[in-house]
Amino acid sequence: MNFIDVNDVVKQYDGHLALDHVDLHVPQGCIYGLLGPNGAGKTSLIRIINRITRADSGTVMINGKPLEDKDITNIGYLPEERGLYKKIKVADEIVYLARLKGMPKKIALSEMEKWLERFELTEWKGRKVEELSKGMQQKVQFITTVIHRPQLLIFDEPFSGFDPVNAEQLKREIMQLRDEGSTILFSTHNMASVEEICEQITLINHSRVVLEGRVDEVKQRYKKNLFVVNVADGAVVQAQESLFEVVPDALQQGTVIKLCKGVTLRDTIAWLNEHYTLTGITEQLPSMNEIFIETVQNK
Amino acid sequence: MTLVGKKSFIVMTLLIPVLILLVGCVPVLLAYVNNSADTSVTRIAVIDETGRYAGALKNNTNYRFVPLSGQNVKNPHDFYKAAGESLDAVIVIPADVENSQQVSLYSEKTMGQNILSYVTRCLNDTLRNAKIAAMGDPELLSKMEQAQVETQVKSIKWDEKGDEQEQSAGLASVIGMVLAFLTYTFVLSYGAMIMNSVVEEKTNRIVEVIVSSCRPMELMMGKIIGVGLVGLTQFAIWVVLLSIGSAILGLVGGASMVANPEAVTAGMNLPGEAGAAGAISEINTAIASINWLSLLGNFVVYFIGGYLLYASLFAGFGSAVDQASDSSQFTMPIILVMVIALYAGIACIENPNGPMAEWCSIIPFTSPVVMMVRLPFDVPWWQLLLSIVLLYATALGCIWLSARIYRTGILLYGKKRSFKEVLKWVR
Repeated sequence: MNFIDVNDVVKQYDGHLALDHVDLHVPQGCIYGLLGPNGAGKTSLIRIINRITRADSGTVMINGKPLEDKDITNIGYLPEERGLYKKIKVADEIVYLARLKGMPKKIALSEMEKWLERFELTEWKGRKVEELSKGMQQKVQFITTVIHRPQLLIFDEPFSGFDPVNAEQLKREIMQLRDEGSTILFSTHNMASVEEICEQITLINHSRVVLEGRVDEVKQRYKKNLFVVNVADGAVVQAQESLFEVVPDALQQGTVIKLCKGVTLRDTIAWLNEHYTLTGITEQLPSMNEIFIETVQNK
Repeated sequence: MTLVGKKSFIVMTLLIPVLILLVGCVPVLLAYVNNSADTSVTRIAVIDETGRYAGALKNNTNYRFVPLSGQNVKNPHDFYKAAGESLDAVIVIPADVENSQQVSLYSEKTMGQNILSYVTRCLNDTLRNAKIAAMGDPELLSKMEQAQVETQVKSIKWDEKGDEQEQSAGLASVIGMVLAFLTYTFVLSYGAMIMNSVVEEKTNRIVEVIVSSCRPMELMMGKIIGVGLVGLTQFAIWVVLLSIGSAILGLVGGASMVANPEAVTAGMNLPGEAGAAGAISEINTAIASINWLSLLGNFVVYFIGGYLLYASLFAGFGSAVDQASDSSQFTMPIILVMVIALYAGIACIENPNGPMAEWCSIIPFTSPVVMMVRLPFDVPWWQLLLSIVLLYATALGCIWLSARIYRTGILLYGKKRSFKEVLKWVR
């Protein structure tokens, strides 16, 4: 069952079409990547799901029902441009924003303690936000996004500004939130993180959906019959005109070959075994990065 | 939520009444300190060459006059030296004082204005009476006193039934002006506070988080109402602190006035005890003649209306800028209108029922200030009603307009916007 259903949404700003009949279907309990270059319309779409703005036409359904104002207490939103009140104490900030989402004060306080401990921020809770390092502020922002246990979490570039160690921790937390039942909409142009955590994606370019589906499925769709071949004794695989050509790729441990049209993998392996001592062959699927660039540049 | 906890805010709230009280009682305090701090008695020898006027110089708590017969002293300086520490100054009343009207005060220290004016006061009456007596008409003095004229205009107001009520135009003007200033400063300072808060949330980028939790309209109205209530609370604290403070000061001042009336009245250059008491009773009747309930009620109504009107404009246009430093292009026109309102108010004191006063107290942008000036002078009820209805209608209009600007403005960053562009967002 889908948690979010965006159907045929159109949004126009001052003569500029920000969303052109966009559909988005996010299954319950999924980490869903919303991808697209800058200015494609991701933030416009997120703001509509957040009820910060309204669609000119089209519908947004949450959990099978049309989106209403009260649903926003069930959404946690981490905007790309992070922002906190700088002059107040960490604890006050977290509790204030939690209560704004309708959380009772008592529960907000106890939940806050849990989260601060998880992020090793407990000793900072009495300090003003502006005294914290940027990384710590990001963690506080993350806590304010998830503290009210929303069913839907929207993260806009969550990893920007985190060092690798903290990014790893954040990734674990996001995965855990998913395991606990939250649905996560994840907007980014960091394709490496998409490969790591997203199950499904929608790619928006020039206000339109240009690609959508499961990550593995999309990769299959975009695969180019590339394989990495490893042979024994340091031999060099040469191109074989009827079967495959060699694609230069310095980054791979082995030789990258591209099968010719109509050639099966079986035939190729047979041929390779005949001429070399084949120690391994793996299919090379395109990275999300390649798919992204190819899709965006083609259309 | 960020405002009330700030130290600067708390300090301001507590300090302002203290400052006002200080400013208010500085003259009294100064006079008091001036006269009482100097507890040592100044001893002055009086060399009276006429032999008639030494008695006019009466001793009091500060000054002791020691009359000497004129013939004994040839040189005041030698006498002064000989007396040593026991003498502070020497007054010489020359033989021809009635014509020259001049006496001399000798001393090594510079003597203050207080002693000079005290001596002048003491001698003036005596010398004048002596002069009158010298004219040979024994009844002249009493005739002159009878002929003294001090005209007073009593302003009496009729109410609808024709009953008479004394009023004080002076006091009414002062009250009107104070209320107008209050409205002006409150609306401007709290309006600016709202604008800063809007811009701050926008520069912080927290606004996007907040509007994902509540509607922009709610955020804006919450801000306006919140800051307004903070202002009213602050205002109430001021009123309470001020009345407590002035009551305490009144007690202290009153006690010292009883103990040492001369010092206080002399220091303040008041006409004298009788005059002061008269003025106070006059103020009392004037205060009693004003309908405080309707005055304060109307004040609050205009205050809230004016605040809503301007605060919403500040919030709306504040949302159009990225940094506080860019806001002046939008605040300038708003402040200009406020300043015009204040000047109109000041001008209306001269003629609180004239055409300018009437117009400006009905136009919603100036009425919260100008009507304050008119309120103590009984405004016709239809004008009051019209003005209030117009004010609140305009305030609602401004809130609507600002809300539409606000909801677009808070999410737009980047280039500086012109007035025209901002007004486009209304559509």
